[in-house]
Amino acid sequence: MFSGGGIEKRGISKAVNKRSSSRRSSSSSTGSGSTSGSSSGSGSSSGSSSESGRSNNSGSSSGSGSGSGSGSTPLGSPPHVQMASHESLNSESKSSSLNSKLGHESAGSPSAGSPSPPKSVCSSSSTSTDQHHHHQLAHVLNATSKLTVREGTRTLRPDEPTLVPGEHMEGTAREVTYLCPYTGPKKGTLSVTNYRLYFRSPETDPPFELEVPLGVVSRIEKVGGANTSRGENSYGIEIFCKDIRNLRFAHKQENHSRRMVTEKLLQYAFPASHKLPFFAFEYCEQYPENGWTVYEPIAELKRQGLPNESWRITRLNEDYELCETYPAVWAVPAAASDTDLRNVAAFRSRGRIPVLSWIHPESQATITRCAQPLVGVSGKRSRDDEAYIQHIMDANAQSHKIFIMDARPSVNAVANKARGGGYESEDAYQNAEVQFLDIHNIHVMRESLRKLQEVCYPHIDNAHWLSNLEATHWLDHIRCVLSGALRIADKVESLKTSVVVHCSDGWDRTAQLTALAMLMLDGYYRTIPGFAVLIEKEWLSFGHKFAQRIGHGDDRHQDEDRSPVFLQFVDCVCQVMKQFPHAFQFTEDLLITVLDHLYSCLFGTFLYNSERERMEKEVKTKTVSLWSLILSNPSDFENPLYNPATRHHVLFPLTSMRHLCLWDKYYCRWNPSMRPQEPVHIRFKELLHVKGQLERRVDELRRELAARQTHDSPRVTSAIV
Amino acid sequence: MLNYKRPVDVPEEVDNGKVEPNLLPGEIKIAEANNVLKFAPLKTNKTGISGTLFVTNFKVSFVTSLPVDSKEAELHERSLQSHYLGVHDVCLSEVDLVYQISEGSTKKKRLLYNAPLPARVSGLQLVLKNLRVFNFCFKFTPAGEDVRIGQALLHHAFPPSIDHLFLSCGHPSPFTGIPEFCLAQDWEKELQRTRCPNWRVSKHNEFFNLCSSLPTVVVVPRDLLDAQLEQAAQHFQGTRPPVWCWGALGGAALVRMAQISPNISDKISVTKSMGTLQRRKLEEESQQQENRMMGLVHRCHPKKLQPTIIDLDQKLPSLKDVNISYIKLRELHTPDDPTQFWEQDRHYFSRWESSRWLSYVSKCLEVAQNAASAIAHHNSSVILQESEGRDMSAVISSLVQLLLDPQVRTLRGFHSLIQKEWVALGHSFCSRLGHTRNQPEEQSPVWLLFLDCVHQLSLQHHAALEFTSEYLLALWHASHCSLHSSFMFNSVNAKYSAKAVLQRENPQQPVYLRPVWSWWAEDHDWLGSEQNGSSESVKGRRSAARDLFLNVHYIQNLMESLVVSGALGRLRDPVSSAHHTWHRIQYLLGDSGPLPYDPNAPLGPLQIDASLRVDVALSSLKPWHECFSGWISEPSVTINEIDSLSRQSTTTVQHWEHVRQIYYTIKSHLSETLTNGVAE
Repeated sequence: MFSGGGIEKRGISKAVNKRSSSRRSSSSSTGSGSTSGSSSGSGSSSGSSSESGRSNNSGSSSGSGSGSGSGSTPLGSPPHVQMASHESLNSESKSSSLNSKLGHESAGSPSAGSPSPPKSVCSSSSTSTDQHHHHQLAHVLNATSKLTVREGTRTLRPDEPTLVPGEHMEGTAREVTYLCPYTGPKKGTLSVTNYRLYFRSPETDPPFELEVPLGVVSRIEKVGGANTSRGENSYGIEIFCKDIRNLRFAHKQENHSRRMVTEKLLQYAFPASHKLPFFAFEYCEQYPENGWTVYEPIAELKRQGLPNESWRITRLNEDYELCETYPAVWAVPAAASDTDLRNVAAFRSRGRIPVLSWIHPESQATITRCAQPLVGVSGKRSRDDEAYIQHIMDANAQSHKIFIMDARPSVNAVANKARGGGYESEDAYQNAEVQFLDIHNIHVMRESLRKLQEVCYPHIDNAHWLSNLEATHWLDHIRCVLSGALRIADKVESLKTSVVVHCSDGWDRTAQLTALAMLMLDGYYRTIPGFAVLIEKEWLSFGHKFAQRIGHGDDRHQDEDRSPVFLQFVDCVCQVMKQFPHAFQFTEDLLITVLDHLYSCLFGTFLYNSERERMEKEVKTKTVSLWSLILSNPSDFENPLYNPATRHHVLFPLTSMRHLCLWDKYYCRWNPSMRPQEPVHIRFKELLHVKGQLERRVDELRRELAARQTHDSPRVTSAIV
Repeated sequence: MLNYKRPVDVPEEVDNGKVEPNLLPGEIKIAEANNVLKFAPLKTNKTGISGTLFVTNFKVSFVTSLPVDSKEAELHERSLQSHYLGVHDVCLSEVDLVYQISEGSTKKKRLLYNAPLPARVSGLQLVLKNLRVFNFCFKFTPAGEDVRIGQALLHHAFPPSIDHLFLSCGHPSPFTGIPEFCLAQDWEKELQRTRCPNWRVSKHNEFFNLCSSLPTVVVVPRDLLDAQLEQAAQHFQGTRPPVWCWGALGGAALVRMAQISPNISDKISVTKSMGTLQRRKLEEESQQQENRMMGLVHRCHPKKLQPTIIDLDQKLPSLKDVNISYIKLRELHTPDDPTQFWEQDRHYFSRWESSRWLSYVSKCLEVAQNAASAIAHHNSSVILQESEGRDMSAVISSLVQLLLDPQVRTLRGFHSLIQKEWVALGHSFCSRLGHTRNQPEEQSPVWLLFLDCVHQLSLQHHAALEFTSEYLLALWHASHCSLHSSFMFNSVNAKYSAKAVLQRENPQQPVYLRPVWSWWAEDHDWLGSEQNGSSESVKGRRSAARDLFLNVHYIQNLMESLVVSGALGRLRDPVSSAHHTWHRIQYLLGDSGPLPYDPNAPLGPLQIDASLRVDVALSSLKPWHECFSGWISEPSVTINEIDSLSRQSTTTVQHWEHVRQIYYTIKSHLSETLTNGVAE
């Protein structure tokens, strides 16, 4: 597939670009400043002036920010004009997005019988069925930028994307073929901006469009060499995405467009590796709601009823000195002094001491989270740590017991002793019961997702679909996480007993467990703002290493630290949601949007590893929050079936395999043959709409009738007279 | 296997009068056992409830004063036999397997109908055909009662012939408006409705002389004389000549045909003197007959297009395959204890796959889809050929009609379809579902396979059918209850004979065999009111079940069509489509009587361009959990088994609420205009 030999014949500079990722990253880091220069040099050496010309061109345009030459019309307009044009598009998109179908009906052309319902909430651009999979992403992007109108009413060239504020064109390649695994090759124009890749083919009606935020890209490979590529469409690039799909583009060798595209893609897909800022720092959309204010740690603790006589709030970690991966504000047992906290921190991995996540409003049973104790092979003990756990237990008068939930399989917990870690011994911690939840580590999860991707994309082997799915163990892991969280929720709710949760470092499995248990226990987290708070609190503030796990802007696609831990959590949320369709204020569209922007780097929310890093990079002031988008467009995500009375209920989901299902709306969304069922909530929205219309019609008829009577009655009387 | 460490509810001696089961007219108590513990399977905390167990000639009845498990109650309410049976009752013909179970041991022993019982039976496990499991423990039962109840059960649950079952409750069926397809006029109406030319109704089978598994009237090519029909029938398996079952507007017909008889020589002439030459001659003759029949179908087509012949024996799984697959699923869904449950759960998906059930569903849908497109797109007649033409051809023929004929997707149309394709054309329900103890090798739940296909169809087109998957499931459960005569017999002829036998045995009592459709028109609760609640709640319960059985999305679509401007104004104009729609909505929402359709109106004519497509890819098909694991509760991981919040089943409640509100808005508007109109 990748014919390295052919490349090496062409010249050293190219070969460097072409090899494994580590080589590539080193080459780019050494010559980051002069990348465009060196590449154009190699281009001219290969003999084509047109290619070098174009790559120079786009290189200069990226530097100056103003367009010149052939492929960069949109850059010609000054920024404020662009903004204005976007706003005008905004207003249009509002009418045509969510209620496109409903609006269409009210316009007076109702389709009798069975009207084809809208497939996704925000879909409005292209509705051809074979474009289903591209369409889905368009929906998300539309939700993002609120730029839904693609056809007409704009002065930009039709084969270029509508840009979001802060986005600019970087390069355009014509006569590129997108090798769609479902609908076959399509020829069109490929554009690269500093935010996304955009492909448009006029061959179909409506035109075929594909948009991929570059943050989604995990790896870019060149396919075929100049002298080795014989067959049609054998020379091009393949783009591997973090959202379970691979895209292949074939270039015409004689156009010499591949190098420019690859270069631009590498540069903007992996800004961190090129010492460039994330696009989030350039994105300057204005949203009516400011998502950065959705989570205020003190306010959230106050909502839970803290501080109280047993729990206090401390700012001991304000400078992130005691624990650099923890938030600034902690809720800890009132009985523990600051000195105690320091001593406990010394005994917990990375200083991640047990800190309160959630407190039961009635029983005062709590969920606290931490990292593993530094027990080691010698079985070290810490009186302070033992006393601290006792304080946590004592803070709950309802129970004389405490559960320590170790998320790991017990074998792994034991193995960690060799590395200085381990778990609490029940002898040392009186009244504590240690339970292992058998959730595997990040490497197992990564491998599982890789297998799942193989099974789902691009084609599904129907004959072995179920057994292949089972062999990925993805649902098995989901089941494990869910039932672990269920166990925690049950201990807190049914036994009124406090639970301490940890894994090794307390930032992966622990975050999954506490967040899910809280979601089951507290209906607030099942509202749209509440869900944002949950993620901000349990995932972001407590230092789930998003940058590492996702690899934002980083080209080391084989990095061992990457793992779909957060995706797994969102999948679990979706499983619970499917079992309790009335208990969530939002729909799975919210979850999909969150996942898309987990990778997109459009928002600052998921960037970096900890609260501290985000403070240092001034993320809150320099980027937009994902929650701004979501809170500003709540109707796109609201679940019409939501029953607010469920807020006071605890959810105990079923966790056997037969009650879990693959989230095909996410994992199989690119496959047009996997048409997920029309969600009930959309059907319900339509029903409410029909109801409204019929009621209006009845009212009209009533008024008509009344009018006719008042009109008629004098005639009647006159007749009598 | 059961752990009796915590004997909950240690039975007290019942002294306040004897407990008696509720008996239907004609029902007789056969055996009883006191102080029996009934254990819910898979409950980790081993809760059992105590009561008295009875075996009658109709059911196994467990009578207790203790409250009912909410899940059991819910499932009971959505069954079509809740007016015959109590929550803890089991109709004898529902019993699939009986095991002897013993304390502290995980071993269980299958008991056949003729099995001798030991002196003491510590417990019995009943596995029902609908995969429900009952565990009864006789630890506190007086000696002797346990064995007597066991013997009575084994003897009566597996009768030697169908007429030993309790088939008549002594009351006539209410009028349902569903044709039985045993009269010439039923078929004639169907011919008219589908406007299929060149076919005629033949009454040549009047005394089942032609074929015992077909109804007395069949539809055959117009050019085929009765004498030729009789001659042809001899050459087909089961002496079943090809019969018409449905037609499309273009003139294409759907025909079910048996294979030609391979062992015709044995049948026609018992003399062994017949040489190979003669046999070959006969085979040739059969072949000629088959060709002639196909030629006739060909000539019936108004455009004389070639018919498409689909050999179902080749394309679809055999009856045995289907049964093996079902048995695998039964094993997967009747675990004995939580350990086994979780063990199975780990490989749940691959075990589903290895059962091959979904691949069979997929194949049926695929063949049906191909047949449907041959009819719809190529206007070609389709001949479904199968060994006797009573099993898979019923599945495919029914599916084709569901895909092509919107009338069939209504409740009434669906009832007619089942009556026609399954009951009248002789699917051998009795053998396939194992209602008697004869020929266990004949068992094969082809009927369930069909229902699952329809279930998948309703998943993919959830507003296309007027009824829900819950209703399909209720039909599956109902097909094991002997009081629903629809699914008890091998053929119409078998039904008549059974009826005659019953009548002869008991000349005073009239025998009434009630079709399952009578549930809809039923307003009577046959059991005493104590067990099923007051008679007030009968209506309430039925209307709750109705809401589950009728597809609210379908009604929503009907209402959507009233949004067309001016439609509301035309509601009372009898020729408008709005009037027609409103009429249907009124029936569905239950103002116009018990039936959700007008029983006197003719079935609507065939419409064009209303065909459905179904995605047959295995990854698009879903295991039917409500059917296969509906009775198992997941062994609880949590301490309390509090059902924190009702799960999915309630999603339609809100829908119904709004649909009703729309209905009442329009209705009140209509009555206003009516009064005003009168005033004018």
